[in-house]
Amino acid sequence: MIARKLAILALAATVWPALAQQDPEQTTEAAPLPDGREIMRQVEEYQRATSDSAFNRMQLSTCRFGVSENRITCAERPRVKALESVSKNYGPEGLDSRGVTIVLEPADERGIGLLSYVYDDAERQNESWIYLSALGRVKRIASGNSDEESESASLFGSEFTTEDMDTGKLEQYEINVLEESTEGGREVWVIELIPNEERARETRYGRIVNYIDKERFVALRTDLYDHYGNAIKRMLSSRVELIDGVWMARSATMMNLVTNRLSNMAVLEIYTGIDVEDEVLTQRTLTDAAFRETRLQEIRDQVE
Amino acid sequence: MDNFLLGLSEFFERLPDRVLGARNFVLTGVVVISILMIWGIFTRTEMDLSTDAYLDETDPAIAALDEYRRQFGSDDSVLLVYRALDGDVFSRESLTAVQRLTDDLRNWQDLDPADYPAVIANVPVDFNELNHIRRVQSIANVRFQRNEGDTLLSLRLAPAELPESDEELARIKARALAQEDLVGMMYSANAEYGMIMIQTDFGMQPVEDYVPAVDAPDVTLDASFDFSADGFLELDFDEEAEITEVDFEPVDVFSYSAFHVATTAIWEQYEDRLEYYPVGAPPTMAFMLQTVNQLYVLGILMVLIFVMLLWILFRSFSAVLWPILTIALSVAWTWGVTVWLGITVSTFISLTVLLIFAVGIADCVHVMNAYFSYRREGEEHYRAISRSFGRTGLALLVTTLTTSAGVLALTTSELLPMQVFGFMSAAGVVLAFFFTVILLPILLDIWHPGFPGHEKLSIPDRLARVWNGFRRNRKIALIAIYAVLLYAGLGFGVGSYILFISFLTYAVVNWHQQILQAVPYIVARRPWQIVAVFAGIFGICVYGATRVEIDTNISELVKEDHPLRQAYEVVDENMAGSQSMVIVIDTRVDEGMLDPRVLQAVDDLETRILESQGEHLTRTYSLVNVVKDTNEVMNDGDPDFYRVPETRQMVSQLLYLFNSANPEDRRALVSDDYSKAQVTLNIRNSSTNEYQGFFDEIGDEIEASFAHLRDDFPELEINLTGSMALLWRMSDEISRSQVESFAIALSVISVMLIVTLGSLQGGLIAMVPNLIPAFLGFGLMGLAGIPLDADTLLVAPVIIGIAVDDTIHFMTHYRVQLIKTGSISESLRLTISHVGQAVMFTTMVLGLGFMLLSFSDYLGMARMGFFGSLAIVMALACDLFLIPALIMIFKPTFGIKNADKRISFLESPA
Repeated sequence: MIARKLAILALAATVWPALAQQDPEQTTEAAPLPDGREIMRQVEEYQRATSDSAFNRMQLSTCRFGVSENRITCAERPRVKALESVSKNYGPEGLDSRGVTIVLEPADERGIGLLSYVYDDAERQNESWIYLSALGRVKRIASGNSDEESESASLFGSEFTTEDMDTGKLEQYEINVLEESTEGGREVWVIELIPNEERARETRYGRIVNYIDKERFVALRTDLYDHYGNAIKRMLSSRVELIDGVWMARSATMMNLVTNRLSNMAVLEIYTGIDVEDEVLTQRTLTDAAFRETRLQEIRDQVE
Repeated sequence: MDNFLLGLSEFFERLPDRVLGARNFVLTGVVVISILMIWGIFTRTEMDLSTDAYLDETDPAIAALDEYRRQFGSDDSVLLVYRALDGDVFSRESLTAVQRLTDDLRNWQDLDPADYPAVIANVPVDFNELNHIRRVQSIANVRFQRNEGDTLLSLRLAPAELPESDEELARIKARALAQEDLVGMMYSANAEYGMIMIQTDFGMQPVEDYVPAVDAPDVTLDASFDFSADGFLELDFDEEAEITEVDFEPVDVFSYSAFHVATTAIWEQYEDRLEYYPVGAPPTMAFMLQTVNQLYVLGILMVLIFVMLLWILFRSFSAVLWPILTIALSVAWTWGVTVWLGITVSTFISLTVLLIFAVGIADCVHVMNAYFSYRREGEEHYRAISRSFGRTGLALLVTTLTTSAGVLALTTSELLPMQVFGFMSAAGVVLAFFFTVILLPILLDIWHPGFPGHEKLSIPDRLARVWNGFRRNRKIALIAIYAVLLYAGLGFGVGSYILFISFLTYAVVNWHQQILQAVPYIVARRPWQIVAVFAGIFGICVYGATRVEIDTNISELVKEDHPLRQAYEVVDENMAGSQSMVIVIDTRVDEGMLDPRVLQAVDDLETRILESQGEHLTRTYSLVNVVKDTNEVMNDGDPDFYRVPETRQMVSQLLYLFNSANPEDRRALVSDDYSKAQVTLNIRNSSTNEYQGFFDEIGDEIEASFAHLRDDFPELEINLTGSMALLWRMSDEISRSQVESFAIALSVISVMLIVTLGSLQGGLIAMVPNLIPAFLGFGLMGLAGIPLDADTLLVAPVIIGIAVDDTIHFMTHYRVQLIKTGSISESLRLTISHVGQAVMFTTMVLGLGFMLLSFSDYLGMARMGFFGSLAIVMALACDLFLIPALIMIFKPTFGIKNADKRISFLESPA
């Protein structure tokens, strides 16, 4: 874990001068904008770091929203799901990952588990299994064809989709730094991502505009546009905290600007550097209740 | 009254002198205002071509449709039904073609537009239009669920790589035909037809200036999102918070058409394997636009016919130029005033232009004909102008009042575009009159038609002279060549039509004087027989009109062999139906749709309506189908489990599973918060009449299925909606309101005639010849079993307004002559001689012009053109034969004392 943190710091150290580099002849004029791709790579690197050997307690709240006295607020009592998740990075460079998420609340869904293996290799299909407690059965969710169109699924019925959670694939985007600005009182780079033709087919978004905190490399705001340039969704981050040397937004709010619904994902507790046995990230955790409880308890014990 | 009418006639007689005296003032005024109007037209015109414009915004079904779109996306899809040319959509060749086509439509960005035609049906192909595609579904990518060991598979029916062996292909086919929810939807039961469903985002584009409330400056997330304590977050909520709903941009026919053309360019590439029958809003609207374009062509041809006929009949190009100028100014002012008032115009403006054309031509022809005849009688130019206005002015005023009253009746409609149409048309008719009396005298003074013996012969005169110089054989040869050229160049229909016009024109030009002179003598010999014949015709028309059905059927708006109609028929016969509607269920409760009782009620509703509406309704599909299917699949395919499970937890988890496997399908059926769901109803296309009770009956079934849940779901709301369905219902409502305004128009015109003619008897006599043309079209349609649809009914008042104008000219003139001469016979003779020719000419010009519309592919327009021109010709027959006969029989004196009632037409004219 220490090695990991060092690696990140080292990376930051190499990236930062590149970002901060200025053309000496232009010092009197406005500073040239830095390389957006490098910035985005850095942001994703931080994101990945928070999911390795990690145990989270999360809360997903969804509601219809409105504006009251200049505040964006739920216009109804939000529906809340409580989740626990364990994840770990795999592969030579830690680019693959495995994770298991268990629903604690609401009662109807208690015990539903989702196990997913994500592979960086585009040739290899991601795999996921769902355990349905009411049926007592586990089901692999798979498509029968290799050319599966990657339709992004809603995460636990929220406004977040799997696509919103994706990392990587930066090479499939044209990335431009539009300007330097401020967001929520902090200095940001406004960085635009435009999918290339290949990516455009897979994504709902025709343009993504990130407001990246210059100091913390966290997206404070993300505007998501459809293929016609209409803003359809917006994500706002709050409670940005330093977790094990990496800044992370522990409260992310995704607003659907068309349906006026928002979902907030709050990482109530996050622990990285947890010992996660490989066996925990298998189907046994889903089906074998006793095994699941024992192993999760072991992990809980590590953090409490 | 008599003095008043004579006074009015004298006023009109004096008017030209005054106008000519102020010619500079008038001309300057007209030019300045016209420039202002034209500037307004080009800078301020807002045209609403969207179909939504005709919908009544207060209808709850419209609100439901907007809500539906917000939740489930656009319901405007292209249903591209195809027939496999080898008879089997599951053959290797057909499957491959559909796979490629599906892929092309999904990944159109990869296609090179250079490989495709640049223009289809005169519309440029723009691939960017394909951006409206949201989803393409076909045999190539549709999925079914299967349980295999520990895995729930969401499999493609046909794998992207088709199996090598034919047995394997046969298995695919067998498996497909066993999928109940897909048969009729994706392919027909006999596997001859298939469907590619192209879902679009039409009607889903936020309005251009839409700004979400969260974009306002200083708006921030509520502090509760920034939770402070570990392990717990409770978001605050404020039920008073203002929620801004997105408004969607209305869709116009041009976008539909451009989209249709772009998709056509792609699917045309596979025509060697597949034959297409596209239905749905984009192809239908594209056809509507083609019709409009065809109407432009017909409209130009119609103007050409007007021009040719006016030129030949009056033998001076001034007789062409001045009416056209008068009409153009009337149109410009009408349009200009409308847009300066900030009123949005609709496609109805073309009908307004048509009406102004007809009225303007009639007005000018009557005046010019009078001028022409006075000159021939030897009157001096200025005197002839004055007398011609004196002769026609009163009648022009009355026809203007009656016609505008007729179109003003349209303003009783509740639909705004109809009201605008009514006001604009009335204004146009009044303006045409205004320009005829104010501007035409000046124009005639600048340049006027010649007359026989005039020193300089016009071109038609010279041509006529050359023609008359030919020998008989040569004439016949020339006529034969002319006929052959017409048929070769224009085809049988239009060729015959032009040939008919030519002969008729030839006859009228050569013998109209003789015909008009002979008329009173023919009538005087057998007035009763003539009245009997017309009474017979009228009786038949009234009988026919009682049998006419008011009915709109989208596919029957076009001729039987038209591709659009064939497409509807094929889809209705072989697939689940070419129309669809949706029942939107809003529980107003979070996750309300997870309640097994609600699902059971939906299941009951589907069963009930399939039973009771089986004639129209072919298939229903909803969340319930998915729940039942997943339940069965998860229980090892045991058919006993094809039902709604008992517990909420089970429903929730089955849907959780389905959502994970197929989120897009789930989202199309139920909202993300599971509070709203929709039931899709596939329906066969039919006429609006057949669907009269449909809406109410479905409403009853909804109540019966959900009544017991009202206590637990007090805010439960269920609506039947769908854009095609709404349009359908609206066209029916338009038709019905049109019948009312038609009745209003007839009554108003009757009252005005009685007042103008100063006697009940005279008014009624004048009304009878008006009623015959008015009922002729309806009567014949009723007898022929042709239903009256919304479009036909829209044009009806316009045509009737035109038809009655000539009768009014006739009667008004007769009345004035009676006041002047005191003799019925003399008045009749003078009226036929004075007005007869003008009536004959306007009938020819307008009747033949409108007849051209009957060549439209669009039956609504074609029928109106055909029956409308018949009505105009019938009006002429009434004026020349029925009115004189009625006058000779009833000898109306319009209150004139001591009138000479002797009839002196018993001897043939010399």
